[in-house]
Amino acid sequence: MGRPEVRARKGVNMTSVVRLHGVAKTYRVGTVDVEALRGITLDIHQSRFTVVIGPSGSGKTTLLNLVGAIDVPTSGSVELCGQDLAALKDDALSEFRARHVGFVFQGFSLMPVLSAFENVEYPLLLVGMPLSERKQRTMVMLEAVGLADQRHRRPNELSGGQKQRVAIARALVKQPDVVLADEPTANLDTKTGAAIIELMREVQAKFHTTFIFSTHDPQLMSHSDETFVVRDGRLVPPAHEVRA
Amino acid sequence: MMLFKIAYRNILRNRRRSAMTALAVAVGTLAVLLFGGFQRNVFAGLETGAVQRSGHLTAFREGYFLYGAGNPSAYGIDDYQNIVQLIKNDAVLQPLVSVVTPTLSLVGIAGNYSGQSSAAKTFLGIGFIPSDRARMRQWNEHHITLATGAEPVLKDDEPSVGFVGVGLGRILGLCGPLKIPNCPFPPDLASERPPIDAPAEDFKDLQERDVAKAAADSHAGMPRLDLLGATAAGAPNVVGLYVASAAPQGVRELDENVIGMPLPLAQQLVYGRQKPKVTGITVQLRRTEDLEKGRARLKALVQDSRVKLEVHDFAELNPFYVQVKSFFGAMFLFIAAIMGVIVLFTIVNTMTMAVLERTAEIGTSRALGVKRGGVRRQFLLEGALLGAFGAIIGVAVAALATFAINHAGLEWTPPANAQPTPFRVELWGRTALIGLTWIALTVIATLAAWFPANRAAKLQIVDALRHV
Repeated sequence: MGRPEVRARKGVNMTSVVRLHGVAKTYRVGTVDVEALRGITLDIHQSRFTVVIGPSGSGKTTLLNLVGAIDVPTSGSVELCGQDLAALKDDALSEFRARHVGFVFQGFSLMPVLSAFENVEYPLLLVGMPLSERKQRTMVMLEAVGLADQRHRRPNELSGGQKQRVAIARALVKQPDVVLADEPTANLDTKTGAAIIELMREVQAKFHTTFIFSTHDPQLMSHSDETFVVRDGRLVPPAHEVRA
Repeated sequence: MMLFKIAYRNILRNRRRSAMTALAVAVGTLAVLLFGGFQRNVFAGLETGAVQRSGHLTAFREGYFLYGAGNPSAYGIDDYQNIVQLIKNDAVLQPLVSVVTPTLSLVGIAGNYSGQSSAAKTFLGIGFIPSDRARMRQWNEHHITLATGAEPVLKDDEPSVGFVGVGLGRILGLCGPLKIPNCPFPPDLASERPPIDAPAEDFKDLQERDVAKAAADSHAGMPRLDLLGATAAGAPNVVGLYVASAAPQGVRELDENVIGMPLPLAQQLVYGRQKPKVTGITVQLRRTEDLEKGRARLKALVQDSRVKLEVHDFAELNPFYVQVKSFFGAMFLFIAAIMGVIVLFTIVNTMTMAVLERTAEIGTSRALGVKRGGVRRQFLLEGALLGAFGAIIGVAVAALATFAINHAGLEWTPPANAQPTPFRVELWGRTALIGLTWIALTVIATLAAWFPANRAAKLQIVDALRHV
């Protein structure tokens, strides 16, 4: 499959942050090989709000996992921020993720024993940021997602929407090159989901971060700068859609 | 810091499970410390008993230790007074030494021909200077409470007064005069033996002289024994011994054989009119920790003596001490090993459950950039903290239990003791035992956490994230 042509929006940086070339991923389930991705080739550009859509089991999550360097392809290459991920060993990959990739998970995946503040602060510890800068940046991020007052609360004391706000703050706090969000509104009601999308759009604009989502949510699709449709492990033409 | 915070909060997250795990570690700590404290008391008791009896070091004539029991008189040290003086005056040994005293070991036959009974028995004799022996009995470096009154204090100016083992007193028919308890009257065998007033011709003169001498002596109320021995020259010799009391020896073999007597009487029996000698020069140190220093100096001092001497310590002279110590040491290791295994499996179980429950969290951490080593460290730290908390609780409970036991007035009869002594646990000040137990159990807990921690570290991120 050829590389999709991307029409540039005015003022948008067209440098590729993510490059996939002929990426395939096969899982073994019991005695059966399941082809989750079959030769995906695509580029995702910097500072874009990109959405990957497709039915359940189409390979969206697998695609995001490969882009996020938490899984490795069976064949093909994944390049993130100019780095071929196959060239990195496990520890180097971890370090790479710590610096360049932020995640927002469907189930929030906050650390239950840490407060909202500590959850947001945690990724900065992993990159060895000094205490004062860490505290300041965490506070800025919590204010950006409107949770400065709730910072001492543990995840079990927060609503679903608040948890996802913390997760977004956690993903953005280290100012990564890419934020990957796997169905971030799936566990939220419509109103909260809309608020979260709005928030993500705001912070994306504010911090000029590249966002890549997988979703079924039509609200989210309508916000995207670029859309990839995945079906049966392949990109389906038209492979993308760029908002004018 | 965050690592500690997460570990600590995760421990508190499942309070009941963490409490049960810490409790298992605490019970292990308690068992090891209480037994260790009790063992210490036993060792201190055994050491005190041995050092009170035979000092820390004894210089013998070369060969005596292996062969001397068959013929002690042949291994006599004749210039012993000079050697004793040499040791006492040595500038190096002086500050270390508590008592230096000569002793004479001998064998012979003890007979009671008092007219009311007639009995004889081979004996193992020890001759000593009563005042030195009394000073040696004062040694109590470990400040433990030993059974008192086990041995009478003899006097230097009563050279013919000694003591016998309780068993020997019973065998020689001295139950009444020595007020030996649990000593039933022997069966009447009078009809089956020659009458006492008609001794065998061979011993007639001997007995007549004996009875006459007994009448002349002034130790009223004390039973008298005739001790028959062979002099160093091989000639038979007899001395009379007045028995002040029967002293329990703890071990039956000793109890039925031992006679303690002042050194002059022992020398008179073994050497007769010859120049008196001794078989050993005993040195009691102030502190056992000076043993090696004392041994080295004593060896250096006696190496130029006229007869070749060899130096042995109290452990070599009291094999029972070594055996009991080894036995208790093995028991301690056995108990410690069992407790270690219990702690190991408890922590493995707890941490395995923790890894299972937190699989998705592990996936999240890894996705955020935590390395495999970071995940491993997290669970190892949790295991270590559980072990450390549990061991601290164990130490505290052990301290309370020790106080309770030591104030409960319990008694027991230790090995080689004839009388009950207070049952005590010596834990106070045992920093090495407490510290090592704490460290060992914390290390075991950490090692136990290794297996689940390693499993957690090896999880595939996407599999972990999918875990429900």
